[in-house]
Amino acid sequence: MRIQEHPILDFSKKRGRKVTIYFEGEPIEAYEGEPIAEALHAAGIRILNYTHEKNRPRGLFCAIGKCSSCLMVVNGIPNTRTCITLVEDGLRIERQHGSQPLPKDYKPPSWKEAEKREADIIIVGGGPAGLMAGIKAAEKGAKVILMDENPLLGGQLVKQTHKFFGKRDQFAGVRGIKIAEILEKEAKEKGVEIHLETSAIGIFQVGEKRMVAAIKKNKKLMEFYGKAVIVATGAMEKMIPFENNDLPGVYGAGAIQTLMNTYGIEPGKRVLIVGAGNVGVILAYQLLQAKVNVVAVVEAMPKVGAYFVHAAKIRRLGVPILTRHTILRAEGNGKVEHAVIAQIDEKWRPIPGTEKRLDVDVIALAVGLRPSIELLHQAGAQITYARELGGYVVRHDERMETTVRGLFVAGDSSGIEEATTAMLEGKIAGLSAALFVGKAKPDTYEEILQAQRDLDEFRSGPFGKHILEGLKKVMIK
Amino acid sequence: MKSKVDIAIIGGGIIGLMTAFELAKRGEESIAVYEKRYIGSGSTFRCGTGIRQQFGDPANIQMMKRSVEKWKTLGEDMEFPKFKFAQTGYLFLLYSEKEVENFKKNVQLQNSYGIPSRIISPEEAREIVPGLDISEVIAASWNHTDGKANPFLAVYGLSRALKRMDVEINEYTEVQEIMVKDSRITGVKTSKGEVKADIVLNAANAWAKILNQKLGLDFPIEPYKHQGIVTEPFKLGEIKPMVVSFKYGGAYLTQKANGGLIGGIALKYGPTWDLTPTYEFLREVSKNFTKIIPALKYMSIIRQWGGYYAETPDHNAVIGKIEEIEGYYLAAGFSGHGFMLAPAVAEGMAELITKGHTSLPLDFYDPYRFKRGELREQAIQMG
Ligand SMILES: Cc1cc2nc3c(=O)[nH]c(=O)nc-3n(C[C@H](O)[C@H](O)[C@H](O)COP(=O)(O)OP(=O)(O)OC[C@H]3O[C@@H](n4cnc5c(N)ncnc54)[C@H](O)[C@@H]3O)c2cc1C
Ligand code: FES
Repeated sequence: MRIQEHPILDFSKKRGRKVTIYFEGEPIEAYEGEPIAEALHAAGIRILNYTHEKNRPRGLFCAIGKCSSCLMVVNGIPNTRTCITLVEDGLRIERQHGSQPLPKDYKPPSWKEAEKREADIIIVGGGPAGLMAGIKAAEKGAKVILMDENPLLGGQLVKQTHKFFGKRDQFAGVRGIKIAEILEKEAKEKGVEIHLETSAIGIFQVGEKRMVAAIKKNKKLMEFYGKAVIVATGAMEKMIPFENNDLPGVYGAGAIQTLMNTYGIEPGKRVLIVGAGNVGVILAYQLLQAKVNVVAVVEAMPKVGAYFVHAAKIRRLGVPILTRHTILRAEGNGKVEHAVIAQIDEKWRPIPGTEKRLDVDVIALAVGLRPSIELLHQAGAQITYARELGGYVVRHDERMETTVRGLFVAGDSSGIEEATTAMLEGKIAGLSAALFVGKAKPDTYEEILQAQRDLDEFRSGPFGKHILEGLKKVMIK
Repeated sequence: MKSKVDIAIIGGGIIGLMTAFELAKRGEESIAVYEKRYIGSGSTFRCGTGIRQQFGDPANIQMMKRSVEKWKTLGEDMEFPKFKFAQTGYLFLLYSEKEVENFKKNVQLQNSYGIPSRIISPEEAREIVPGLDISEVIAASWNHTDGKANPFLAVYGLSRALKRMDVEINEYTEVQEIMVKDSRITGVKTSKGEVKADIVLNAANAWAKILNQKLGLDFPIEPYKHQGIVTEPFKLGEIKPMVVSFKYGGAYLTQKANGGLIGGIALKYGPTWDLTPTYEFLREVSKNFTKIIPALKYMSIIRQWGGYYAETPDHNAVIGKIEEIEGYYLAAGFSGHGFMLAPAVAEGMAELITKGHTSLPLDFYDPYRFKRGELREQAIQMG
């Protein structure tokens, strides 16, 4: 199902040319610019593959290329991440059943040397942190290349229809989608070279330079050489254990936002949200905007974690927020049809007799994120555990430099916070990297200090206390 | 940690653990293993898993024949049936008359020791591994009794068996010095204290030289960085044997039990202690693997790692009793084929230590051959 009307988003303008793709031989209508899994979802197809050992059905989970839950056979090629691979006219798509045979192909490929690109600074990740880093570094005269494995710039901003808090010069009162547009425009104006659908696969030292190896459009090997690298790869949704938590229809909150706000596809008809932090509560509001029924929000803690105004708004609109509740299991044949929830005691044990069976077709997990640190880890940066920041995070100093010289980090990949802090960290990382490569003038220090002060101020609120605890474990003095 | 043992083994790799197992089976009651990190963390967990009898000299062939017998029953022997030796064969692809000549000679020698290897046609090779590109292959050397095994399960099974047999395994315990008095072993000094011992086995492979040098002993074992990769899984059974191609990068590759491909090529760096994976390796692996099995171009590499080959000048290990110091034994320098050799080496070492002699041809690996200038013919080394 596609969303036809939306108070904020106009999909009729956003959708590209109509094309036809073939799912197990059946023609399906799709729009250019949308990924395969999203197009299939619009056509009511939720099961994308069956697992290797237990033959369990699986569907989307993250919708941003990070979890491998959406692997399918595309034009004969197995293990394609269909949530970030765009549709093309005539594409043949099949469900994958466990591990696939090697495609029948006996012709040795002619080896093409990789395309080489060079710049002062290479940035991986085009969300708020990466974009801001690119803008700031380019402003100082550094040549910047930025890549992202998704087909759109803006990271998680492109699906945020709500207005941001914060100070005026930090986009307060502006909707996330709009911020993404502004940042994208600015980055392009400042001459940042952008590569989309480009997955970084490793950071290597090659002679004096650092090289980010990447694959463009699942096919082409690219080598990006630079003096400094900034990793702003964001985060990935956490999963919690409950029975049938892999049933198609159990989605990460971000995946639902992607479906509905980026591509105008109805995630389902009736949704249960697990987690009443900002993400869960904002998601509830966005679902209501798209005229999707939110049956309940369950929260294990005794208190709602979200900002009061957000929570009050959805309560006003009739969505129950059930604290001290959790999900026990998902039920359904091949897709979510019911969810069973229950009240829990102080020791987080379900209280017998309090179970409720809800009629839902989507279960949204908004139970936190964990930083995407794989590239940083591979590059040799020191990693440490900080629960407050979402799990394993990379150690860095006040200028966002990691333990590897010339390797910087920004945004959620340096610890889970939010878009505003991501942009501030991006600013610091971009300026510091520009200094590192010798492009910025010494007065840049002043700008860095200002951004650090803004960060401190932002974190001085009640939510920041937690973050500061985490940062204590992570910061290099 | 005990303060006195009969036999102290330095190194919790496959050689150290397997030797402890053989010693304990022979009734030795006071054995301890010291491992500076965790067991398997040296080269063992980083290896290509290959086990073959297709060597070019009598000693390695006989040792490997014995090893394969023991690999086959290891699961039962250590009461851990989950461990299985996958007897899926080794297939050497041959591209020139000269290569074929050499391998024919090797096959003859192998056959004379009862190894059923043979030269087969490219079409037969393709029947064994359907995805092969055989347009340039003129023959292949094939032995179906070679195979592979999972080092994680081997080490886990051994550690369980050793604990049952009261062998002490000390992890995160580094031996800093081997203690000697009047040319006799007196014990080891570890990061967690001193331990008295009559016998010390240095099974520290790539690191063996460090302790030897402290004793003023010099055996040429140097650490070289080699690397390996694993791909995402694909349908089991597509690449059953270990496939080897000297023409294409000295590549070796096979499918693991979970369906992923494991393998490497002969690109090495060193001597060095640096284990950082290199991009050059990643690129060369992709280039060469797809020449051997073209459809691999559709498979993503999901892991890459570095590990040491503890190399000697003739690529044969250094195994035996050390003459200068009573009670000191060395089994190291396995040059990239220590995993496969471990069962026979362990048996030979255990016999040497408990009986003073062994029927296995350990002489071949005589530590003093280098000093005498009697290097062996280079062993066939992959990767
Ligand atoms: C990429 C790669 C592929 C390979 N492929 C194959 C293959 O297909 N088949 C095959 O047979 N072999 C292969 N090998 C070789 C094989 O891994 C080794 O030969 C084998 O693991 C050697 O075992 P080991 O016990 O001697 O050494 P290790 O496994 O390295 O064990 C030695 C241990 O000693 C410890 N140690 C060192 N110094 C001290 C100290 N002072 N105190 C305490 N502990 C210490 C180390 O931490 C280490 O764990 C490969 C190796 C690599 C790197
Ligand atoms: S990778 Fe596609 S859903 Fe996560």
